[in-house]
Amino acid sequence: MKTVATLIAAMLAVPLSAQWLNYPTRGVPRTADGKPNLSAPAPRTADGKPDLSGVWDGDHKPPCPPNGCDDTRSVREFLDIGATLKDGLPYRPGIAELTKARRQPPKTDEPITRCLPIGIVERYTHATLRKIVQIPGLLLILNEYNKMYRQIFTDGRPLPVDPLPGWDGYSVGKWEGDTLVVQTTGFRDGIWLDAFGDPMTDAAKITERFRRVDYGHLEIELTVDDPKAYTKPWTVKLYQILAVDTDLLDYICAENEKDIQHMVK
Amino acid sequence: MMSKAFGAIVILALAVPLAGQWLNYPTPGVPRTADGKPNLSASTPRMADRKPDLSGVWKLENPQQSQFLNIAPSVNGGLPFRPGVADLMKARNADPKTDEPITRCLPVGVVIRHTWPGEVKKIVQNPGLLLILNEYNKSYRQIFTDGRPQPTDPQPAWDGYSIGKWDGDTLVVETTGFRDGQWLDTEGAPLTDAAKIAERFRRLNFGHLEVDITVDDPKAYTKPWATKVNFILAADTDLLEFICLENEKDIKHMNAAVGAVAK
Repeated sequence: MKTVATLIAAMLAVPLSAQWLNYPTRGVPRTADGKPNLSAPAPRTADGKPDLSGVWDGDHKPPCPPNGCDDTRSVREFLDIGATLKDGLPYRPGIAELTKARRQPPKTDEPITRCLPIGIVERYTHATLRKIVQIPGLLLILNEYNKMYRQIFTDGRPLPVDPLPGWDGYSVGKWEGDTLVVQTTGFRDGIWLDAFGDPMTDAAKITERFRRVDYGHLEIELTVDDPKAYTKPWTVKLYQILAVDTDLLDYICAENEKDIQHMVK
Repeated sequence: MMSKAFGAIVILALAVPLAGQWLNYPTPGVPRTADGKPNLSASTPRMADRKPDLSGVWKLENPQQSQFLNIAPSVNGGLPFRPGVADLMKARNADPKTDEPITRCLPVGVVIRHTWPGEVKKIVQNPGLLLILNEYNKSYRQIFTDGRPQPTDPQPAWDGYSIGKWDGDTLVVETTGFRDGQWLDTEGAPLTDAAKIAERFRRLNFGHLEVDITVDDPKAYTKPWATKVNFILAADTDLLEFICLENEKDIKHMNAAVGAVAK
């Protein structure tokens, strides 16, 4: 019973290799042998901005073990968002103890364990797929996990002065050249950034810089500025690779749920 | 402390009050009358391809509409149950009613996405794809409008697999591939894995949307039946989060109930 969350993930995650959906994705450039050409130029919308739309999977996953990959292989940032930071995350005093307490078995306070939402950071690192739908004025990120959407307003509106605290906060995006810069505030307190328990508080501001490097690759530079949890802002890069000829399937965490009775005392 | 309908309690406790929306950013592109109010009888907006644009934040036109609680009265002639279905509904309604999907914060399915009374929903229309976003569990539904056929062997899902085609100014959406055991209302009217649902979306003018829903489910009903939902545009607001499992307090009582049944 070390990590209930991992157990749930292993039991319920949709196997990527067994997608039932194989309708060819429209508009994907192909090489002579019909394979998607992931290094073709990034597509653009009618206004000339890069089009971030597509079904995306985590890129730069750790190599598979010799006996093959399992279906729930996620990027290492799912376990530890600071995995690539040389000096780790700049915890304020008390945060190391908090994350240690969060990791104590049976770890029933992890939101995923209770099938609650994952925050906007884990939406990129979770083993399931995500889909970006870009339309004028609005960018949507759809996740398989709990079949949830996130809205990013790109119609020029400002951030609200008194946002309703939520799992996703309130997001506005603006283009800087070919980079979409998204600012988010208004988070609900107590969000986990990873399975390690790294916190995000209601004081957090998140900046995401989206860059579709080429047809098949999306880079998200993520800066977390959360003075209640960290002594200074920190930045990591998350990489996504296009998943072609497939689509999202339902992943309803509370479906066929068997853990609750063990968790409730 | 068994209550009759956990589902209803959950809704009362968690539903987002429309009157208290925190979001008041003016919806771009809404035609207004001289006094600045949204002109809901202005003409239907259209996409670049001249098809109606169904996009917008919508709420039930008649908040007293009770299809969510009981869909049968809205159906001409009532629901044509097959033998055994009345008994199934009786069993579903027996205390403590913990099998209702909403009680366990599970998805609501495509019909209740329309009929849910206390929330707004948002339609996002994009060439090739229509999305319906609900506040309940912050969940989306996809309707593919890119000309693809129905899959021959869809993975059974709460929302099934939906494709839409334009018939003049009406978007006709056909859905199959449903997960078995769904509820169409809190009375427990069933939807089985044999069901086909057809929806006809018509945006009558800027502020009004009509959805005809036909349910053809030969495992539960002797013939297809239809109902209609009318929406009115909710301007200058947007979706708020409604996470059913947030601050969840019912589970331990439900487990006690399950234990009692097991004895």
